[in-house]
Amino acid sequence: MSGRRGPARLGRGALGALALLWLALPLLPVVVWAFSDRWAFPAVAPQDWGIGGWGAAADAGLPQALLRSLGLGLAVAAVATPLGLMAGRSLGWRLTRWPRLVVAMLLLPLLLPPVAVSMGLDVVLIRLGLPELLAVVLLLVVVAVPYCAYTSAAAYARTPPALEEQARALGASARQARLRVVLPAMRGSIVVAALLAFLVGWSDYVVTLLVGGGRLVTGPVLLGSAAAGSGNDAAVAVTALATVTPPVLLVLLVLGLGRTRRSTATPVGEAS
Amino acid sequence: MTSRMRGSGAAPGIVTITLVAGTGMVAVVTTSLGLMPLYGEPVLSTDGWRAAAPDLALGIRESLLIAVPATLLSAVVGLLLAGLVLGGGGASRPVRVACLVVLAVPHVVGATAVGQLLSDGGLGARLAGSDGSWPPMVGGPWPAATVLELAWKESAFVALLVVAAVGPGHRQRMEVAAGLGARPWQRATRVLVPTALPAVGAASLVTLVYALGSYEVAALLGRAAPEPLPVLAFRLFGSIELTDRPAAAAAAVTGSVLALVAASPALAALPRLRLLAGDPRGHA
Repeated sequence: MSGRRGPARLGRGALGALALLWLALPLLPVVVWAFSDRWAFPAVAPQDWGIGGWGAAADAGLPQALLRSLGLGLAVAAVATPLGLMAGRSLGWRLTRWPRLVVAMLLLPLLLPPVAVSMGLDVVLIRLGLPELLAVVLLLVVVAVPYCAYTSAAAYARTPPALEEQARALGASARQARLRVVLPAMRGSIVVAALLAFLVGWSDYVVTLLVGGGRLVTGPVLLGSAAAGSGNDAAVAVTALATVTPPVLLVLLVLGLGRTRRSTATPVGEAS
Repeated sequence: MTSRMRGSGAAPGIVTITLVAGTGMVAVVTTSLGLMPLYGEPVLSTDGWRAAAPDLALGIRESLLIAVPATLLSAVVGLLLAGLVLGGGGASRPVRVACLVVLAVPHVVGATAVGQLLSDGGLGARLAGSDGSWPPMVGGPWPAATVLELAWKESAFVALLVVAAVGPGHRQRMEVAAGLGARPWQRATRVLVPTALPAVGAASLVTLVYALGSYEVAALLGRAAPEPLPVLAFRLFGSIELTDRPAAAAAAVTGSVLALVAASPALAALPRLRLLAGDPRGHA
């Protein structure tokens, strides 16, 4: 029996290594380039290690671009999360008479290519004179609402509506029952919904570029323009690394907090 | 459910989506028909469509050439990754964390990274040697790098969706199958795969629609011609010739129709989406 387990374990280990290689390999050149001053072809390793690319990226406006990305992500999360929560409550607790219509409407922003919606909206904005920043936020909110709605719909479905009814029966107003009883009971899912909305704002490229008219330079927009033609691989890699690090850390932080909370709540139930 | 619990419900979110997405789509359709020119009088015309027609056919083909292989590859790799995570061995946690990291990577970063890996001067070509044997994967005759970037990012999405859908009760199902004498390969093919297929199908549909509408990956990694529809639409939209705008809008409308047609199986299955509609049977 143990003789068979050896090769099986070896095979699983090899598959695991291949899986990690598939997931990590594409990011490897970016990490290496970000700390290289000279890496001429065809050398496999850089000839000169260094942080020259960081200065070049900073000179190109990377810190300001990241701050704009942060602001955009926070603005999208601030608007999309409550809208998504309301829609999620309606779906999760079956409060709507038209659940299929609501689901279909929420699917729409995921189905329509962002280029098409942005292009049409850009034409309208020129006529209305609406500020570009407001339009970008509005469009990204529309993209983010479905993610928030589906995340919170699942959370509401797991939370008994009796919780709110009991709070109301004990004299709480509708607002108090939601803010002090229901929402705290599902705060983990609300954090995930807000995180998803933030990621939509932080990561967007084409909507910001098209509707923002090239004047709203965020991290991804700066990276897109640098990758398309700067020729400075080190600065491009630094911009990519700086753009990807905050969302990755945020996801890992939320994942870590989620695991900690679960293990604190149910120490026996945690799967090995 | 008491009537006083109804509140404002989904209306604010739905109204926002309808207003913004609806306005955008109506405007892009009317632009394609010459009814919203940047300058001059609106005149109903199919000039934009006729001007874009040759590129539209090539654009549809290129979009499908990217989206279909990327979707199939991400489904297969995503299922394998999910199998490793659900398997519970030593690789389970690192693979799950790596999937989450990849999921958080913006596509423009992914495209840049894949470019630095697969281009003529990239890490792959360096490892392969300087004899020129490295195939032209970025900007070459086939959109290989574009497909691989989309498959890479979306395989993590497929894996996490499958883990979320199949995870509850997976261990018990595998234990029962093992108790009945099923070998590891049989457990994978006759228990894991059939239970994971609905989630793989749903994730693949999302991937297909996303890949059809994606701009930045093909713009950074794809060949100059023919262009997939979003790249074609974006290029024409930025053209200095104002007459190109209706053609750009025609390409954008074609891309939207293609995405809606691709998603039509999911839309037809909408009545069965009990989980999203809040039917408690969906959470058993």
